[in-house]
Amino acid sequence: MIKLEKVTKVFAQGQNEVVALKDISLHVRGGEFVVLKGASGSGKSTILSLIAGLSKPTCGEILVDGKSISKLFDNFSAMFRRENIGFIFQKYNLIPTLSVKENIIVPLIPSNPDPKEIQIRACEVMEKFSIASKADMLVKNLSGGEQQRVAIARALINNPRIIIADEPTANLDSKLSLELIEILKKLKAENRTILVATHDPLFFELDCVDCVIEVKNGEILK
Amino acid sequence: MKSKINIFLMEYAINSLLRRGGKNIFILLIFTLLVFLLSSALFISESIKLELNSVVKQLPQITLQRFQAGRQVDVPTSRVDKLILIEGIQSVVPRVWGYYYFKVAGVNFSVVGVDAFEEQYTKQLQDIIDKTDISVFKQDNSMLVGSGVRRVLDENYYKDFFNFVTHDGKWKRLNIAGVFNSDVSLEANDMILISKKSAYEIFGMDKTMATDIVVKVSNPTEIPMIVSKINELYPDMRTITQDDIRVSYQNIFDYKSGFFLALFVVCAFTFFIIIYDKASGLSSEEKKEIGILKAVGWRMDDIIKEKFYESFILSFCAFLLGLVLALFFVYGLQAPLLRDVFIGYSQLKPPFNLPFNVDFAHMILLFLLSVPVYIASTIIPSWKASTLDADEVMR
Amino acid sequence: MTLTPEIIALLMLDALFLFFSFIAFVISVRIYLKWDSSSFSPLQYGLEKQSYLVGVVIKYIFFLKLPLFLFYVYTCDKLSNIITGAMCASGVVNSVDFGLYLMVFKILNLYLFGFWLLLHQVDLKDEKQSFTKLKFLLFAIFFIFLLSEIILEVSFFASLNISKIVSCCGTLFSATSSSYISLLFKIDSAVLVGLFYGCFVLMVVAYFLKNSPIFIVSNGLFLFFSIASLIIFFSTYVYELPTHNCPFCLLQKEYYGVGYVMYISLFMGTFYGFCGGVLQRVSQIVMPHYALISIVSNTFYVAIVSLYPIVYRLHNGVWL
Ligand SMILES: Nc1ncnc2c1ncn2[C@@H]1O[C@H](COP(=O)(O)OP(=O)(O)OP(=O)(O)O)[C@@H](O)[C@H]1O
Ligand SMILES: [Mg+2]
Repeated sequence: MIKLEKVTKVFAQGQNEVVALKDISLHVRGGEFVVLKGASGSGKSTILSLIAGLSKPTCGEILVDGKSISKLFDNFSAMFRRENIGFIFQKYNLIPTLSVKENIIVPLIPSNPDPKEIQIRACEVMEKFSIASKADMLVKNLSGGEQQRVAIARALINNPRIIIADEPTANLDSKLSLELIEILKKLKAENRTILVATHDPLFFELDCVDCVIEVKNGEILK
Repeated sequence: MKSKINIFLMEYAINSLLRRGGKNIFILLIFTLLVFLLSSALFISESIKLELNSVVKQLPQITLQRFQAGRQVDVPTSRVDKLILIEGIQSVVPRVWGYYYFKVAGVNFSVVGVDAFEEQYTKQLQDIIDKTDISVFKQDNSMLVGSGVRRVLDENYYKDFFNFVTHDGKWKRLNIAGVFNSDVSLEANDMILISKKSAYEIFGMDKTMATDIVVKVSNPTEIPMIVSKINELYPDMRTITQDDIRVSYQNIFDYKSGFFLALFVVCAFTFFIIIYDKASGLSSEEKKEIGILKAVGWRMDDIIKEKFYESFILSFCAFLLGLVLALFFVYGLQAPLLRDVFIGYSQLKPPFNLPFNVDFAHMILLFLLSVPVYIASTIIPSWKASTLDADEVMR
Repeated sequence: MTLTPEIIALLMLDALFLFFSFIAFVISVRIYLKWDSSSFSPLQYGLEKQSYLVGVVIKYIFFLKLPLFLFYVYTCDKLSNIITGAMCASGVVNSVDFGLYLMVFKILNLYLFGFWLLLHQVDLKDEKQSFTKLKFLLFAIFFIFLLSEIILEVSFFASLNISKIVSCCGTLFSATSSSYISLLFKIDSAVLVGLFYGCFVLMVVAYFLKNSPIFIVSNGLFLFFSIASLIIFFSTYVYELPTHNCPFCLLQKEYYGVGYVMYISLFMGTFYGFCGGVLQRVSQIVMPHYALISIVSNTFYVAIVSLYPIVYRLHNGVWL
């Protein structure tokens, strides 16, 4: 389903170049739960952003469902993300002055769908993550766990097949981390592909995780 | 911008404006102020133009002044009989008029000598004369005054008469026989109508002379031809046509409002640069927000569109606000301070009301002068924001 | 030079257009020379990003130019109050030798920029962006047109002279005029009107046969004969005066601004017919709604202009 073939990513920083990824290849099958681990600066986030089409590889090919996304123009890579990828970030990354519902529908705005449809979809995901009762509250007034659930609801409103989470537990206490893992399990049960980049050892021994990949200095250790 | 308006995007844009309230209110205020100044200037000058145009319409078609050694001098009334013989001229009227300086109040009145049995050279004068009892001018001791004059005299305790000081220092007492109000306030306000005889007396003019001569023609298209004939007959006379005056008025005010506008354009561009500067330095929070939007599938176009909505809403609100304020300022408050810039500080003209003269085209003009400039200043910053690398959000 | 507020507004916006279109021009040339959609180089990424800027700039210019065109005509109309001899915009437009060229450039540029935006839309919908190079080459060329327009406009306003006496539309749009407009008056008006309706019929037939080359050509001809027949024939019925042939007076309040409706429908119809048609041939994508918009607007135009003589005839029982 997701295939990275000989991908290299170099960041040019003024004069010197930072090689973030060196010629890596990776294969993730549909419905798999994959954990990327590794020290800080090893290149985990870079891999995730390449898969999401947020940045482009310096060379190599990234295929999702057999389609190359490494050379998509902005229009199409955004469209691809909108339809296929749900993002869960480290710090929730919600927009603090918007209400729960407004935050959740942000991914739907550009396609200008009809208000009824937005309503239906928003209600659906809010029910699913039991935040429907808080729909009109500002997110900055919510507790950490609730904010996390709003962020996940936002990631799922487009019903994506691939969930990408970058250090999702970095800001959570152990209880909330466990809650998150429960949600991820549920998502895996719905046959979604899940990619998590983390240092958190909590993920390494889970039985729902199909594969733990270690990244070091931009390379994948087998 | 093309397809149907995206209400949710609009909502998002408004929210985004409110989120950065402080900065945006600052921009809103400055921009409102600019629009306000600009609109006020335009409204005032359009009003005055309208006022002057209606004055010009009342003016004689051709005015003849005599010049000697480069200075205006009185015209012998004998010339009237020769002028009337020119083909196309309907009537020729010698005028006796001048300014009278009223020292106590420090103002100038225009004193006009009229002969009630003559045809008056403007419709306005004719109206005033028609409305009053002709006998006023038969007795040589009466006068009609404009409402502005009436006020000044009142303030100086001249309730029903006024003592003119004639050229040789004698007093000439005239009773106020009536007051006229004119719709064309700019001209009529400071006018005093007296009989020709009194006028000669006050100004100390020779009875065979007139201040100038006005000419009425039957067909306005023949004016240039008649003018050239007059010039041939009396080379020492200068001809001023209605059109000359209209164009010169128009020029003065176009010049004045043009000057004001040029000033505005400079301000607007300074503003443009400030906005550009402000908008291109994105805070890390804004960068993060754009990263989030991109990560959840917004295209660059969507981000630019959102920014466009933002700047349009902001500038349009400021535009409306500035416009309403200016309408109130100019027509409600009669534009204190600012109108002096346009009318001049002259004490010659007592106050008059600015007539309402605003149409849809003026709104469009003001819109085009303001909103596109603001939007232009945000084009490059919004594009820059939309090209930000989205992986900012991952850190 | 007279600086009325309207002229200042137009000049100021011209300055903005010049600034932005120049940036867009530089980017366009770079993209045309260096674009390589298979490359992964930072240069290519940079160009991709810049290409969006050009899109935004052109959208900005185009969507302002649409109302500005009307505003320009309005300004000329207003200036005719100041300038001796001019009764409507045409006197002002023709008060300098190149006034008419400026007008033609203005209309032409609207078509060109509109076409560019249509092409841009198609290009963005194409996963390979195969028209990018063409698009930017075209813009680099259109920039020259825009530049000429701006230069003409600035020198137009600079050489406007209030005290100079100009001719009114009565002499400009007549057989005695010295310009090439008088050539039109040598043609029999029946022939022109015939050609006008002929083009329209041809266009309708091409529409139903879905023959796009004929549709394009007939739209082009239709535009030309529409304006010619409007001057020679139809305008006289609007004014109800056999000698009044002005295409500008139509815009005045006395005629309820019917000119604005006429010109908007004509320009919109021929724009979608001509530019939409060319775009279809270039991109090989069928876009039936363009042809539909075109045929509807053009029919609307034909209906309005035809109504005037017909109503006149019914009312007065004679032709002018
Ligand atoms: N935009 C950028 N510009 C320059 N260098 C970058 C950029 N993004 C990442 N890098 C570099 O690439 C390398 C990999 O970064 P990446 O963010 O993928 O690490 P990570 O494994 O996610 O680390 P962490 O666990 O701290 O999040 C780092 O050395 C980093 O400095
Ligand atoms: Mg990271």
